[in-house]
Order: sequence, then structure tokens, then C-alpha cells
Amino acid sequence: MQEDNKQNNKTDRRNFLRKSLITGSILTAGAIGLEKVFPGEKDSGEKVKVLTPDGKVYVASSEHLKEYRPPPVTNAEARKGIANKKFVMVIDLAKCDGCKTCTVACQAMHFTESDREWIKVFKMQDADATAPYFFPKPCFHCDNPPCTKVCPVNATFKRQDGIVLIDNERCIGCRMCMAACPYSTRFFNWSHPDPKQTAAVGNTPYSPEQSVPRRMGTVEKCDFCPDMIRQGKMPACVSGCPMDAIYFGDQNEDAVTNASGVTVKLSQLLEDNAGYRHLEELGTKPRVYYLPPKNRKYPIPDMKSVGNEKKEKKHIEMDMGIMQM
Amino acid sequence: MKMNSMIKITSLAIAITGLFCGIATAQDQSQALGKSEATIELSYYKKTDMSKTAVAVIKAKNNDGKFVSAKNARVNFYVMHDKEQQLLKNVNTDNNGQAVIMLQKDLPLDEDLSFTIVAKIENDNLYEDAEEQVHYKDANLTLNLNPNDTARLVTAKVTEIGKDGKEIPVKGAEVKFYVHRLFGIMPATDDNTITTDEKGEASFAFPKNIPGDTKGVIIVAARMEDNEQFGNVENKATASWGTVLAMDKDPFPRALWEPYAPLPLVITISTLFGGVWFIYFFIFFQLRKIKKEKQLKMR
Amino acid sequence: MATEKYNLKQEIETVREDCLRPTQKWGRSTQTWIGCLLIVMGWGLYCYIHQLRDGLGVTAMRDYVSWGLYISTFIFFIGISHSGTLVSAILRITKQEWRRPITRSAELLTFVSLLFGGIIPIIDLGRPDRLPNLVLFGRIQSPLMWDIIAICTYLVGSTLFLFLPMIPDMALCRDRLTVCDSPFKKFKKWLYTKMAIGWKGTKSQWHRLELTMTIMTIVIIPVAVSVHTVVSYIFAMTLRPGWNSTVFGPYFVAGALYSGSAGVVLGMAAFRKLYHLEKYITPRHFDLMGRIVLALTLIYAYLNLNEYWIPAYNMVTAEGHLLSDLFYGSYSKAFWTCQFGTVLLPIIIMSIPKGRTVTILTITCIIIVAGAWVKRYLIVVPTLLHPFMPIQEVPGTWSSYFPNYVEFSVTAACLAGIFLVITLFSKLFPMMAVWEVEKGILIEHDKQAAIELRTKREAEEAKIMGKRLKTGFEPLK
Repeated sequence: MQEDNKQNNKTDRRNFLRKSLITGSILTAGAIGLEKVFPGEKDSGEKVKVLTPDGKVYVASSEHLKEYRPPPVTNAEARKGIANKKFVMVIDLAKCDGCKTCTVACQAMHFTESDREWIKVFKMQDADATAPYFFPKPCFHCDNPPCTKVCPVNATFKRQDGIVLIDNERCIGCRMCMAACPYSTRFFNWSHPDPKQTAAVGNTPYSPEQSVPRRMGTVEKCDFCPDMIRQGKMPACVSGCPMDAIYFGDQNEDAVTNASGVTVKLSQLLEDNAGYRHLEELGTKPRVYYLPPKNRKYPIPDMKSVGNEKKEKKHIEMDMGIMQM
Repeated sequence: MKMNSMIKITSLAIAITGLFCGIATAQDQSQALGKSEATIELSYYKKTDMSKTAVAVIKAKNNDGKFVSAKNARVNFYVMHDKEQQLLKNVNTDNNGQAVIMLQKDLPLDEDLSFTIVAKIENDNLYEDAEEQVHYKDANLTLNLNPNDTARLVTAKVTEIGKDGKEIPVKGAEVKFYVHRLFGIMPATDDNTITTDEKGEASFAFPKNIPGDTKGVIIVAARMEDNEQFGNVENKATASWGTVLAMDKDPFPRALWEPYAPLPLVITISTLFGGVWFIYFFIFFQLRKIKKEKQLKMR
Repeated sequence: MATEKYNLKQEIETVREDCLRPTQKWGRSTQTWIGCLLIVMGWGLYCYIHQLRDGLGVTAMRDYVSWGLYISTFIFFIGISHSGTLVSAILRITKQEWRRPITRSAELLTFVSLLFGGIIPIIDLGRPDRLPNLVLFGRIQSPLMWDIIAICTYLVGSTLFLFLPMIPDMALCRDRLTVCDSPFKKFKKWLYTKMAIGWKGTKSQWHRLELTMTIMTIVIIPVAVSVHTVVSYIFAMTLRPGWNSTVFGPYFVAGALYSGSAGVVLGMAAFRKLYHLEKYITPRHFDLMGRIVLALTLIYAYLNLNEYWIPAYNMVTAEGHLLSDLFYGSYSKAFWTCQFGTVLLPIIIMSIPKGRTVTILTITCIIIVAGAWVKRYLIVVPTLLHPFMPIQEVPGTWSSYFPNYVEFSVTAACLAGIFLVITLFSKLFPMMAVWEVEKGILIEHDKQAAIELRTKREAEEAKIMGKRLKTGFEPLK
């Protein structure tokens, strides 16, 4: 199985390269080296030599290798989803202190680079007079998903358990779904995946349920960790939240559970705390609910720092450049 | 609460490894200089299958003076036997600072029919010595759901085991009732704690609005949690008292977001563009005729 | 009468000579031009291969601005491709005689810009190797799929529309090209013979040709409209502020016609100058085309008003951020330059008769075409930079966008490709529909004859009337 996958990866890659060569000049083949210089990252744990699927040896931290990934379900199974379940997430903004542990847990689970946040903690302020609050935003797995509607090849799909996944073995990289998603939830693999991450993923066969190994030129996003759900475990962000702010569960069971294992009645929770969905007026019917940030016990986010970050306004002057053509 | 943290162990994915490793290394460095202060929280569980476990949660002071989970600490478990400590096993804590051992069925008992378990950190490289012990009696919790009962009465009975092995009802023990859900157990009602009567029984009417599976089946759990005398004891039973979940008749209907498009869309697009292509084919046909004419003339 | 006929024949002969002359020799300048284009295309190809190997990350696009110059250019090229339909089909339907010398170049522009417009989304794909998935797993619900269907339909349609009126010309080329010594000429002979599909000019062939032409003229107009409508649907079917607009379909169509008709003027000017067709493409043509461009610019300006004034009046939260960025934010200079410089200014220029002279109209149309391109960019990029979720704590390269050398190179290569195909085409085939121009001359001749006849008759009648007047009535005053 692993051997097979290795072989597949190899041929896949080879085909891709061959095509690019057929299209054009042979000149470039030598000119553009595949080697890159990778920025050093803090790593604990011992270093281990790993063979990547394309036959290169990389030194990876053993920390990344501890993860055991069970063999994934078949593609057809992954597209169907789990019968009679409707997964739902509730994020209690009153409990979120913006520590971003959910993001880190998610990144560890999915071998993501640090600047790619499948669940991202925003600092929000609705109006000048209202109090700012932290706003963790995963994929909303909408019931009227704008992204899935526009996919031309059925690479992103809605499952019967409500989860929206991406099949990166089918995605053609048109990025229509990214344009369609009003929540900026989707990410594109602009370049080759970081070899360190590739090494950490190892020979895990691909399944839309675990979203790895990632492939260049395809889209990815928060997947609600369906492989964990199949093992009866909650998504990484939920179980990783030290504030117990994220609840996850099955809407059909009318129950959600948080990281401490506290299970509450979903309808009760939403009723008691005036639960709502973000940008309800867009009609996307998200599967993620929010509880308003009432009675918080931690400092509110500092909104002064927001918006002033390294925003390069280079495009202003350069736009004028294009005007003069 | 300890029961909950028990679940936490299982539910917390190993994925958090990455998260904690940063903190852990920081600790490693500071603790190389001196041992850090540690605490032990010890709890005892008796589950539905009568298995008995002891769980020790180790926390240690970090640089900021806060107590955080201590991973990879060596915990020695002992059982009191004739006033002497007998080593059961030593276990290293996992990433959440927890060490778990399975206990033997017949633990050595004192005169008052109770047993004592001790958890210790001894001569650890990283942590200062610490000790904690618990002292419990063995109890049975039985759960009885009568499927034919229209009042849907859930009855739990608590008994302790007497000297001659006889079961004696326990009065005044607090039993909590839960319903099993996908990722945890949910209190069956807002006020789910019932105290046993002189027969050792605690009962309550199962609420009507709890969803079950497609057949309405639910799993009810009754628990004594952190009971002073008996520790944590649990039992489970099933009944089809939940509301029946209506199955999706067609989980993949024709829709804009599904693989198959709504028919009006298919019809509209195929008519519009089919019509155009039909005309194209007519034109190709005419072009063919123009070409054919030449051949006729050639002859 | 005999001399008149001789004159007519000679006139037609001159037309044929003039039209076919450019196809007969390749000058040094042509070779240099083609060489330059090939260099640009080669460099573009190199950049594209770089992009294929290392991913779209070599462009300036990132997760927020996930569509950039490529998609803007795609809309622009598709817009230019509306020219052929407009000038050719609409003028044909309305039986405008002056269309005759300019239809071929307009149709060619349609075909070529559509060809390259269709290639650009493939360049923009992350995984072009998976293109077959579109057939294997295609979903009709996706606006992108509507685009593919509509563009393919339009491409086939415009190819037919270009090809049909070429058949008699191909027969002419085939018959005129007699010397077959060089292999190049052999190829030409073979090509012309194939493309003439056995055209003999019989009555039934003419009948069939006219029938098919009429049908295509009618069919191609709704197809062209559908193409740009569904191109706008790629944007309008999303929920994003600035795109989620019901006016987008007509807005894009109007924008396409505006830039496309200006493109036709540029084509006219170029061929007129380069191939010395001043005799056929006259200042009158420019004047009339100028009026058309003016009308279309006015429509476009009107739709611009709808597209921006309505949301600007309401200033709905998310859209408000976008609009303030466009009106007085980082894109304001480009935006207002587009609105005033490339829409209002051309309207003013073209309203004056002097503004529709050859040189001034050509310059105006260059401004329009460039403005249309920038406007496409301003439709695509600023919206992507103003999503519903705020852009927070991301690398600076994500929260701003300006196309880098790869995108410019590849886009330039596409533009060069358009020029190359047009050049090669004009070097192989006559750039005016010879038979149509001939027909125009004949019609004109008939008209002249008819007028002469009428004036003669009128004169005679006047004589008779005059006699009568003299005899009978008082002259009327």
C-alpha cells in the first residue's frame, strides 16, 4: 500500500513534469533547480532522516513523526460521510481569550505551515462604541455552501454529515471556490509543500478526510478532522482549546462537547446564550454557531494593533504605473 | 470532575504533542538546574465491566510558578497490605501528566473492609518527591431500566460489599444520571443528582426530549462521582427511550452544491446551447453540401 | 456602355490586387516583427514553465488575491472578442454597406482574442495537467463550466463566422496562385484548396453560403452576449462585495462592446496604414465607427453609474469598505483615471466631428482599450482585497497585490500571440473580404447607374414637363 502510493506519487509528479516539458523548452529544465533553502525553525526533539515520496532524504524532527494516522477510508466513503450525523460546532466568544492554541493544535494535526491558519483567531470590533472580542473562525461547513456550488469538477463536496471536504487528487486549482467563499476560509498550495512537512506526513496515503499529503496547485481548508471523528475523537482545535471555548458534536444528538469533556444540550446552550451564526444574512447556513462575548473574564483584544500590521501599500503607486502603459 | 478528566485523556488527541513540546522544552531547561515542586491528584474508578483503575495526575511548577501538567514523570503505585506498602507498578505520565494503572480485582482489605492505594514520586530526576493516597470501600452500582415502563423510570441501586460478601444497600449516596453522546456523556436533566433511599435506590423519570439513534436507542449511565466512601463507580444500560431520529431519505438530492444539478438548470443550459450546436451542425452539413457539389461537377 | 463595363472590371481587378498583395511577399519588417513577437512569446513560455514547475507561487498572487492579472486579462480578451460580432453581425443585419471592408479584420480579432482569452484561464490553473477532469467530473452548476461551454460555443461559432465569408476568397487565392515552384507556395496552394472546399461559385453554392451566413449572423449575437454574461457570472455568482451585483451581466457585455469596438478601430487603422488600404478604409469609415464607439461608451458609462452610484448611495458595510478604497483609498487614482480619462474623455472627444478623424479616433481608441484593461483589473483585485473577514496578521505580500514579472511576461506573451496570429493570418489570407467589397462596388455601380438613369429620365420628364408648363400652366413658386 505504501509502496504503491510512493509509486503513484512518483508517476504523478513525473507526468506533471513531462507535460511541462512537452509544452515547452528543454532549456529551462536545468536552469530551474528544485532545491530550495528552507528557513530554519525552532524544533525540539531529535532529528530523524526521512525519505520523502519523491525519493529525497530530509532531516525532520521526531516530534512531527509521532503522529499515528490510521489507514483512511476509501475515496467513495470519504465523499459520502458518516450516515445520520450532522456535525456542528459552537464557539463561545465569552470564553475565547485569543490564545490561538486551537490554531497551533490544528497546524500540528494537519502539518500546516505557521502562516496558514485553518482556524484563525480574529480581533473583531463591530462598531466603534462596541467592545472588541476574539473571534476564532474555522471553515463554517455551510449547508448552502457557496464554494461547493461553484466547483467545476466536484473536487470540493458536501457530505451527508454536513462536512465540506476537498479532494486534492481531483482539484484543478481554478480557485473559483476561494473567490466564492465569503469567509476567506480556503487556502491554495501556491508552491511545493514544505519538504519538512512532507517528511512528517511520511507515506500516509491520501484521503480527503485527512487532507494530507498536500499537493501543489490545489486548494485546502479546515476539514473538521473527520478522521478523528471516525475514531470517536473531536477535532484538534476543539480538544486543544484550553479555555473550553469550542464545543463540537452531532446536531442530531442535540449535544456538543468541549475540551474538558463537558457535554451540554446544543439547543439549550444556544437558547441560554443567544447563539447566532456569523453573517447570517448571506444565507450560507453555517454549521458553526457563536455565543456572544458576554461577561468575559479576560482583557479585551487591543484593537490599536489591528490594521496597522505590515500592510504594504505598494500597489498604490504601482497601479499608477500600469496606467501609463 | 475526575471522571471528566479521564475522558479528556482519551479525547485529547496526541496531536497536541506539537503544542506542548514547546512548553516542555522550556521546562526541561529550567529543571535541569533543580527539581521542581510536584503535586499528585489520585483517583479511583470502577467501571461498568467491574474493572478498577487508578489514575494519578501529576502537576509541577513551571518557571512562572504555575502548576502545569508534568509529562514523563515516573509514578510508583502501591497498595497497602497489612500496613505495608506493596509496589504494584511504576508508570510514566503521558503528555497530559497522567499515569493510569489497572488494579487487580481482589485488593487486600483493611479491617473496615476498605483498601488503600498510594501514588508516589520517588527520586525522580526532574520532580521533587510527592505522595498521595486514597482510601475507599468497594461498592456496586446497578442500573435498571424497564423497557416496558411507561413512566420511563431509571433506577440505580448502590450496595457495598459486606464482610461475608453480602451486598448491603447504601443510603444517602449521590448518584448522577447521564446519557451517552458521541463525544461524551451529557447530564440527563439539568438536576441529575439523586440521593439513594434506605433501599439504596435512586430513581428518576427519563425525560422525553432526548434524541436517540434511528431506533430511538440511548445509553444511560449512572455514576457516583468522587464519593467519599467509594470513589468513582459507574454503570450503564440501554433503552429505546430517546426520540427516534428520522433518517435522511435522500442525503444527496439534486442541488446546486451536490454532484447532480437541479433538473431545471440542466434543461435550460442544454436547451440553450444544444440549440446553438444544432444550428452549427446544420451549417457543417451545408458546408459538406457545398463541397459535394464540386465532386458532382468534377465527374 | 462598353467602356463603363471595362472600367468596372478594372476596378474589381484593382480590388483583388490590393487585397492579395500583402499575402504575396514577406518584407524584412514583417520578419523582424514576427521575430520580436516570437522572442516575447518564448520568454513568456519560459516564465510559464517556471510557473508550472514551482507552482503559481512564482506569481504575486496569494490567498487573498487569488485571482489577479491573468483573470483580468481573460475578461479583457473576451471583451475584445465582442468586436467581431458587433461590427460584422450587427452591421450585416442592418445592411450597412460601409461594413464591407472592415468585417474580416473584426471577425479575425474576435477569433484570435477569444482563442487566447480561452487559454488564459488554463494558464491560471494550479493543475493544468488535470484539465480532463472537467470532462470526467464536470459539474453543470459551476459558473466556470458555463464559461467553458459558452466560450467553446462562441469559439466554434466565431470560427465559422470567420470562415464562411472566406470561402469564395480562398477559391480566388487558389485560382490566382498558379506558380508552384517553392515548397512554401505548395503549402499555400494546398491550404487554399483545402479551405476553398471546392468552391466554384455556382448558383446553388452561393445560395447555400448566403443561407449559412444569414443564420450565423443571427446566431452569433446571442452567443456572444451569453459569453460575456457568464464571464460576469463567475464574479456575480459569488457573495463578495463589489461582485455580487445584478447589473454585472449587462455591465460586462457593455464593457466588452466598448472595448471591442475600440479594438476594431485599432485594427482598421493598423491594416489601413500597413497594407495601404486607404482607398477602401476611408475617413468615412472612421467617422461611422467613431459614432458606434461613442454610443457604446455612453451605454458603458451609464452602466458604470448604476454599478457604483447605487451601492455608494447605500454604503452597505462590506461594500462600503471596498467603495471607499476605490473612491478615495489606495485605488482611487486608478479608478478615477479610468472613469474620467477612459470613459468621459473619449465621450467628449468622439462627440466632436473632429474627434472622429482617423488619427484622433485611433488615439482615443488606444485610451479606451487600455482603460478597459485597467478597469478589468479594478473589478477583480480590489474586491478580493476587501473580503468580509478582515485581513489580519498576514504577511505583507498577502494583503496587497501587484502582478510580478511572471504574470506580466506570460500576459505579454498572450498579447504577442494575438499579434502573431493576426500577422500570420494577414500574410496568408486577404484582410478584406474580396468578394464582399466587389459586391459593394457592383451595388454601388448599380446604384450609380440607377441614379444616372433616373436623372436622365427626370431630365427627360422635366423637358416634357417644361414643354407642358410652357404650354399650359404658370410655374409654381
